[in-house]
Amino acid sequence: MTEITQDTPAAATAAPQGRGAGTWRLSRSGVGTVARLELRQRVRSTRWLIVLVVWALVLGALAALIHHALFSDPLNGLSAGDRSRQAGATMFGLVILLVLSLGALIAPALSATSINGDRAAGVLATLQTTLLSPAEIVLGKLLAAWLTALALLAVALPFIGWGFFTGGTPWTRLVVSVVLLAVVLLVLCAIGLGWSAVAARTASSAVLTYLSVAFLGLGLPMLFGLMIPVVSTTEQRPVSYMEEVTPGAVAADGSPVMHCVTRIEPSTVSHTERIWWILAANPFVVIADAAPTPAGERDDLLSLTRDGLRELRLGEDRTSGCQEQNGFDDPARRAARDRLSAVWPYGLTADLAVGVGFTVVAVRRLRAPSRRLPRGVRVA
Amino acid sequence: MTGITVAGVRRTFGDVVAVDSMDLDVPAGRVTALIGPNGSGKTTLLLVLATLLVPDSGTVRVAGYDPVTQPTEVRRRTGWMPDAFGTWDTLTCREVLATVADAYRLPRAASRARIGELLELVHLADLADRPTQVLSRGQKQRLGLARALVHSPEVLLLDEPASGLDPRSRIELRGIVRDLARAGAAVLISSHVLAELDELADRAVIVARGRTVAVQDVAEGEGHEPSARPWRVRALDGARLIAALDTLGRTHADPGPDGVDVDVRSDEDAAELLATLVRDGVPVVSVHPASGVLEHAYLAITEDRR
Repeated sequence: MTEITQDTPAAATAAPQGRGAGTWRLSRSGVGTVARLELRQRVRSTRWLIVLVVWALVLGALAALIHHALFSDPLNGLSAGDRSRQAGATMFGLVILLVLSLGALIAPALSATSINGDRAAGVLATLQTTLLSPAEIVLGKLLAAWLTALALLAVALPFIGWGFFTGGTPWTRLVVSVVLLAVVLLVLCAIGLGWSAVAARTASSAVLTYLSVAFLGLGLPMLFGLMIPVVSTTEQRPVSYMEEVTPGAVAADGSPVMHCVTRIEPSTVSHTERIWWILAANPFVVIADAAPTPAGERDDLLSLTRDGLRELRLGEDRTSGCQEQNGFDDPARRAARDRLSAVWPYGLTADLAVGVGFTVVAVRRLRAPSRRLPRGVRVA
Repeated sequence: MTGITVAGVRRTFGDVVAVDSMDLDVPAGRVTALIGPNGSGKTTLLLVLATLLVPDSGTVRVAGYDPVTQPTEVRRRTGWMPDAFGTWDTLTCREVLATVADAYRLPRAASRARIGELLELVHLADLADRPTQVLSRGQKQRLGLARALVHSPEVLLLDEPASGLDPRSRIELRGIVRDLARAGAAVLISSHVLAELDELADRAVIVARGRTVAVQDVAEGEGHEPSARPWRVRALDGARLIAALDTLGRTHADPGPDGVDVDVRSDEDAAELLATLVRDGVPVVSVHPASGVLEHAYLAITEDRR
């Protein structure tokens, strides 16, 4: 018989022990058992049909408004074909943003009370004492939440398709956008699941989940904005502007004679090339950057987001000269942007790491027998 | 040895000592009762046995395995019915049991038959396809018992199984548990209904303040039994009974409406007392123990602990 000796309390929770041996054992049937259980309860306890109908109505109404707003404008001097191409691509981008935003409101709720809710209802321990491993319980719950989120995405597909068929969107962009939407929803479900394992009360885990999602979606852009003054410096640098050659001198046509003057002057430079990565993990940025651009003009929402981020990554334009157009449309800048490596692999990796991290936390929290109980948690 | 062995187990939550030092044996084929006041550590001990809590110190073996280092082996062989548990409200009784069977990785075909059997056993066959949220408390309790039995465990941990059960269900529970023990299972049952445990349990472990304070053998009436316990004697003529008892020099309580409690040392002593009273012409109507074996032992042991 082995004696159970008491480790130092601090190390006890972190150090892997013999008891953790089966934590990560995974089988398809185990995950399936939990996922089936979750889905069955979800289908029977929620008015899912009503939820899906309301979801479709809201998406449909907003997509119709977007369509109206984009296509009711006068042509703005564009040819009808260009007009349709630009409005179509913009509509596609807006519908993707819409599905992502509304999905980010719903997906976390699918898992944010999953584990502590089961604990409160007294049904978690009865699963833990079966042969299911903690990893199977967590992944089963994650799978069920994700499948539910995918059902919402499936209902959204006709509206995404509407944006696609209005024109201007390459089909590769459609595929990449939908696949990444599905991946983002999975990450959001994992965040909710992680918090539901950490927080004892369901209200806490719901709040923490929404804060986390809001941080990714809104917090990162805000943080970026707040960081700009921090990375802004006053530097001596060449500044160019047009100046009259001789004050009062006029050309034959009566206009003042101007020439380009470059002077070294102190000026404020925002070094966004040091902080652009803050934006990379934002889910919309990931989708916009990964989605292939149309062949011609890149003047739609997704393309502008992609080029905007890459512009920030290049940093402020240091070349100088009066002939230059503004930085964004300058062909040289555009070429420089296109030479940059893609941003989305960083962002997607970061998001996936967050999802995996929360999943691992949830699994570790479900290990039994446990040495430590979170405050206020009943085991049974 | 199969069954359960617990030696010197201690478990604290912060500065609250839930289980201080418990020792007990639950042999296979016997029903062992775990009794003690509220907060005496019964449920915590059962959580340790059910592989949910790591004890701070001490040795535990369930079905021959250590629940801390070999939880899977223990779970495979142990059925646990917690004191406070929920059910998946929207699932039917049959689905609940099927989910549990899947969770124990039982083959589908075998588990379907097993589930039908269990539903018959706990008299829920007619409610098998109703969602569990329509079940009464007692019916949920019976479903909980069926759930603990799905994988035919050799060790059974029942935490307050009789609470909420109607009298008929209690009697049936008793029958089910006795049958399981007869078939070789080691049963540990915690309960407050002491009179009932007299008929159900073979042995009782009495705990208080996180410690094992006594082990009582119910069936043979031996063990650490106190020297005397009260038997209630009722006669047609109360005054004559008192007079006879005083003549015999028996210690007795003041007579109540239901008879007189007399201290009796053993069954033989009781038989002798009855014979003497009858010979002396006292019109005795009934003689029986005033309280159950367990109740008496329990009260005697926990008296000084209030």
